[in-house]
Amino acid sequence: MKAIRQFFEAVRAPLGAILLTMGLGFLLVAAINDEPVLAYRELLFANFDSLSNFALFLNRATPITLIALGVVFAFRAGFFNAGGEGQLYLGAMAATLVALALPALHPVLLIPLTVAAGIAAGAFWGWVPATLKIRLGVDEVVTTLMLNFVALLITSYIVNHLIRDTTTYGAISLMIPKSIWLPPFPGVPGATIGFLVAVILAFVAWIAIFRTEWGAEIRAAGTNLRFAEAVGTPARQRVIGAMLVSGGFGGLAGALYVLGVGHRFEQNFSPAYGLVALTVALLARIHPLGALATALFYALMLNGAAYMQIATDVPRSLVNLLTGMLVFLMTARLRPSVRG
Amino acid sequence: MAATDPILSLHGIAKNFGEKLALKRIDLDVVEGEVHVVCGENGAGKSTLMNILIGIHQPSAGTIRLRGETVTIADPIAASRLGIGMVHQHFKLVPSMTVAENLFLGRQPRRFGIFTDRAGMRSRAAELIQRYGFELDPDAVVGRLSVGQRQRVEILKALAFDARILILDEPTAVLTPPEVDELIRIIDGLRARGRTVLFITHKLREVKAVADRVTVIRQGESVATHRTADVDEHDIARDMVGRDVFLVGRKDGEARRAFGTDALTLSGVTMTDAQGRRRLDEVTLSIRAGEIVGIAGVDGNGQTELAEAIAGLQPIQAGTIAIRGADVSAASVSARYQAGLGFVPEDRLDRGLSAPMSIAENVAATHYRSAHLVRAGFVSTARRDAFAAAKIREFDIRGAEPSIPVGWLSGGNMQKVVIARELDRKPQVLVVSQPTRGLDIGASEFVYSRILAAADRGCAVLLISSELSEVFALSDRIGVLYAGRLVDVLDRAEADETRIGVLMNGGASRKVAA
Repeated sequence: MKAIRQFFEAVRAPLGAILLTMGLGFLLVAAINDEPVLAYRELLFANFDSLSNFALFLNRATPITLIALGVVFAFRAGFFNAGGEGQLYLGAMAATLVALALPALHPVLLIPLTVAAGIAAGAFWGWVPATLKIRLGVDEVVTTLMLNFVALLITSYIVNHLIRDTTTYGAISLMIPKSIWLPPFPGVPGATIGFLVAVILAFVAWIAIFRTEWGAEIRAAGTNLRFAEAVGTPARQRVIGAMLVSGGFGGLAGALYVLGVGHRFEQNFSPAYGLVALTVALLARIHPLGALATALFYALMLNGAAYMQIATDVPRSLVNLLTGMLVFLMTARLRPSVRG
Repeated sequence: MAATDPILSLHGIAKNFGEKLALKRIDLDVVEGEVHVVCGENGAGKSTLMNILIGIHQPSAGTIRLRGETVTIADPIAASRLGIGMVHQHFKLVPSMTVAENLFLGRQPRRFGIFTDRAGMRSRAAELIQRYGFELDPDAVVGRLSVGQRQRVEILKALAFDARILILDEPTAVLTPPEVDELIRIIDGLRARGRTVLFITHKLREVKAVADRVTVIRQGESVATHRTADVDEHDIARDMVGRDVFLVGRKDGEARRAFGTDALTLSGVTMTDAQGRRRLDEVTLSIRAGEIVGIAGVDGNGQTELAEAIAGLQPIQAGTIAIRGADVSAASVSARYQAGLGFVPEDRLDRGLSAPMSIAENVAATHYRSAHLVRAGFVSTARRDAFAAAKIREFDIRGAEPSIPVGWLSGGNMQKVVIARELDRKPQVLVVSQPTRGLDIGASEFVYSRILAAADRGCAVLLISSELSEVFALSDRIGVLYAGRLVDVLDRAEADETRIGVLMNGGASRKVAA
């Protein structure tokens, strides 16, 4: 009972913010459109109209969840990782390269190898700013953000000049072998097993952060680095370790996208998942299970907005407005504060 | 006192913040030209009361009368207009500006309405300094002044606003013994000029030295006002705490205790900072099992560095540190803890605790392995919380539950969390820095008893404190750090405050007021 009550206390504020956002958004839609109810129905429920819609929703939720989990690890270690996008791109590229380089390898070996390459590339992209901060005190907000552009340009070069599929237009790579495409999510043919991985990892992340000594050391380093040092934990290593994990999550998201959804590297495959995931992790108060729930909500809105735009003439950019409002309401305190 | 009407009279002042009652009922009469001490434990409401007097807070009930007229003090500007000036514990000065500039900040004398009249400002500053007989150079940059000198600038600043009532908030917390003497001389001078001084402190020894009268506040209520001539320190302490207290450490007459072998050995320990300055200069010291060595000194003379060098938090460039014979000079922090070290850092919120983390996690931080709270890397939260609950009981940590953030506790209870964690390891060597900084008498009493108990069980204790009375109360030997050098280590029997005070100032002689 106590656990349930604590759960409700924890989700009361975010749920309230979501409901208020939706209410205000409805008024907005009603002001510009004759069919606000239809628009809202499409926004919220069109994802469940068909299995294929639902599959798109799950596929959208997967990278957001994974990157957000990575951001959670980084934040818990006191590290502001705004580099999810770059870590995602490098992970996707590394997975593609390995898959294209070793097409003859048996899938049982090749799948783990591509995934590992993706994780390693993302982790490396997390290690760079972590080491810069720990060794030289370089501000990580700047480095992680800037490294996003570096990653985008590197992958752009590779996809355009080394592995481009010349039979078609656009900055897309050659197809990876069909033998290593991920199996579908049970019961949802269009979705990949990647979503299942994300859900499982959310629970693993929760255990790692809150129920292991390693997680306790990361949180100690993240809340007070000087305290973590003084109680004899290898605090700086823990920060770097958390950033390896954080980047690894981004890389994994990229690899799973290539293996499951894209089947090749596409230069514009991410509608700023890195940035969305950053918001998701913050809204979830850097809690892994909260990040999963929030990522689902975001995926729902992002996909639903497209259906809404098709069915009514409400522009899909409404969703940007709603998410902005949500961030605003989540950070605002709804009760008057006691002056002290 | 009946002959004189009070210049400032508080009647039934109460203040609540939300549901929290900070002040219940304060009655206070201050007579013109007296030095009136307000003393009480931390959290008794001293700061709230002073903030009401200078207009930062408004009282929830009660009246303030100034020279017989009821006044409302809306904000600090109003307070200053009414002639109430405050010298804050943390100085509000601009370090890069000169004394004169600081004195007239915000109301510089003008020339043609726009340019600062620098010469005029300087001469007015010099005149102020001379009138009150302060030793200050109006052209000195404040950042280069000693703490005592900066405080004088603050006092002058209030006087330059023509404050008739001067409030000094814990003014001695940051001063060395000679600087305290100087401050008392300055306050005597102000009294002689007819200024009224309200002096806030929780240090009993100062009350007798400085005050005409003393009002004791306990838990938001003014419990008593005495003429200081009529009472002694013990009476005031009883009023403050509400019961008899015995804040004594080793008694002077106590039989000499037997010590074991050397448990902590420092030889030639030298630490240099990034600019090449020596923070520790060949510090050599041995502490035997069961012995308490106190290190006195003005803050910033290497105390922090000494503690951090022993704990392994800052590297040393030369010398060796040995714990029970094992050289740990290059060992990691956790290896030193395993070798038998316990470490209570000087600032509990800096090194001692992680405020947002739970009490359980703070207490358990160094015990995951030793207390079997972790198996194959996984933490048993049930065992961890049970461990913490046991410590909460054993160390009487009030208002604590294992799951609440440690930052919610009061300073004294936070300190108990640190001490619980460090003493639970049964250390053979204990380094404690500023163990009672910001703690009230009750909590200090507890901390002292724990340190003494650790020594009695055979632990070698290095006590680093800027509180001289604390060093004297607990130590078997007393050393003084000055500019990174351990200038002398005296047996407590040979040491007296004058001698230590001289050493704290680098051995420079000073005139002792008769």
